[in-house]
Amino acid sequence: MTEDRPPENGSREPAAAEPVAPPPPAGEIPKEQVAGDAAPEPTALGASEAAERAPAAPPPRAARPRRTWLDALAEPPETVVELPRGRLAAQSRRDFLVFGAGVAAALAGAWWLLPDRVKARLAPGPWRDRLDTLAARAGLTRASRERALNRALTFDDDVAEALYSRDRHVRTYRRSEVTPLPNNYHGRTPGPEILDGWSLRLAGLASGRDVRLSRADLSRFARHDQVTRLVCVEGWSAIAWWSGLRFADLLAAFPPAPGARWAAMRSSVSLDSAGRPETYYVSIDLETARHPQVLLATHLADQPLPLAHGAPLRLLAPMKLGLKNIKALTDIEYTAAEPPDYWAARGYSKFDGL
Amino acid sequence: MVHKHHALVRLTHWANVPLLLGMIASGLSIYWAAPVFRHPRDPVTQSREYVADAGIVIARTIGDRGGDPRNWIYDHLGLGTRQLAIALRLHWALAYLFMLNGALYAVGLAAGGGWRALLPRRGDAAEARAMLRYYLGAIPMAIRRRSWPHPPVRSKYNALQRTAYLSMPLFATLAVLSGWAMHQPVQLGWLERLFVSYDGARVVHFVCMIVLGSFVVPHVALVIADGWDTFRSMVTGWSRRVKEESHD
Repeated sequence: MTEDRPPENGSREPAAAEPVAPPPPAGEIPKEQVAGDAAPEPTALGASEAAERAPAAPPPRAARPRRTWLDALAEPPETVVELPRGRLAAQSRRDFLVFGAGVAAALAGAWWLLPDRVKARLAPGPWRDRLDTLAARAGLTRASRERALNRALTFDDDVAEALYSRDRHVRTYRRSEVTPLPNNYHGRTPGPEILDGWSLRLAGLASGRDVRLSRADLSRFARHDQVTRLVCVEGWSAIAWWSGLRFADLLAAFPPAPGARWAAMRSSVSLDSAGRPETYYVSIDLETARHPQVLLATHLADQPLPLAHGAPLRLLAPMKLGLKNIKALTDIEYTAAEPPDYWAARGYSKFDGL
Repeated sequence: MVHKHHALVRLTHWANVPLLLGMIASGLSIYWAAPVFRHPRDPVTQSREYVADAGIVIARTIGDRGGDPRNWIYDHLGLGTRQLAIALRLHWALAYLFMLNGALYAVGLAAGGGWRALLPRRGDAAEARAMLRYYLGAIPMAIRRRSWPHPPVRSKYNALQRTAYLSMPLFATLAVLSGWAMHQPVQLGWLERLFVSYDGARVVHFVCMIVLGSFVVPHVALVIADGWDTFRSMVTGWSRRVKEESHD
């Protein structure tokens, strides 16, 4: 393919006057031309698609100022390229087709990913059904959306787990930096009756027998204080002064069965929003449970835990979102397989690592 | 013709449209769960936060009585209220794609040499003033049929464009950094400290959204005003405009 170029020797002649290549065939509109006289220095011809070009004159070095490192940052002059109109049109057609396909893919993807409520607002009844049917034919069903989004969530959990280090210290604060701590119980806050006869049941132990620990049993463990931030999945956070025993100390005193990698933690005294009993359950990996800043907290601000914050015992794992910090704990069972998690079953992350 | 934009720059430029829209929509639904800009409960509107206040103003202005006016912004610019689980999953999915897109954009800038056109240079302040004056006067002067010449621009972009086009990737980077600071404040504790506190990162993240979103209005308006060649150059990569010739 031949390309025509403007003269390169800094000629004062208007470039249009001297076409290097033969004139274009009839019917073709003339190509773009360069105003060669406006260029302060010879047009730098990059290694473009140029197959053939007129021999370039040597650049007039003497006219140029001394090169400095700033020249490396300077914007190079625009290189004018001339292409036959047909080829340019074909390229542009291809690019616009790709662009159109991208727009269509983005619209289909948006329809696929948007929550049903948003779709209901964007497209009224019959149109929504028609679009859903069309999308389902292309495999963009609600089930495949859930699979894709869950894969994103799992990927993010894997990233969080890869970032996690048991040696990394959670930032601690001064007691003067404590902030108000809202009660964000997912259901109704249990009443004081849960404290009567409360005990913590441990299962999945190396001894093979279940253990029940009373509040007096737990008070024999060394008490640790920490002022840390509790971060809620909703986005708010609060700094509080917590005290209690280390989970690691409990694990050392009552070792789990060999092969256990998880703690299934349950509160059988939790209530739903209507006040009916509803067990709350979270999964905690033992790698996290052994972190020195993971407490089984018994005190808040040096006072016994109030019911609103998980009396008489709650998990305090400041490197996990608040929803993992289970309140009014009643059961811990060590397992080899990953146990179910209340919020993971409701579309949230399983790992919840901060 | 001249080559304007590397293929990767064009691809990532357009990919930003659905990615940013999706991230803003899901981000607003996440923000709804615990707004960071709050005030005591307003006795009249029962609002406790500024985004709800803005929603009330919008709903009142356009006369929308369809839903709770406090939720107007969350319902119309976001995915709605009480959508935290799906909003978080969408936000993570799009966030990883957004970071990948940003990396490809950087590769495109490097490969095409386009980064040089974005760097600030001497005389930018004066040129920016001249451009601002030109933009402010363009419409009134057109109405009065007075000539209002475009200031001479010898580089790929004028100083205002350069500033805007350079600040977009910088604000996007800041949005990604503040996002990670919120997402992993313990494992990336140094990042949280960079934004002073957890809420500091939330504020920066929100401001980045506002900046990235506000850029779109003048950007689209000026591309429409500038004409087809500018739009086409971001699809096909080439332009008929050669800078040595006069701009208009």
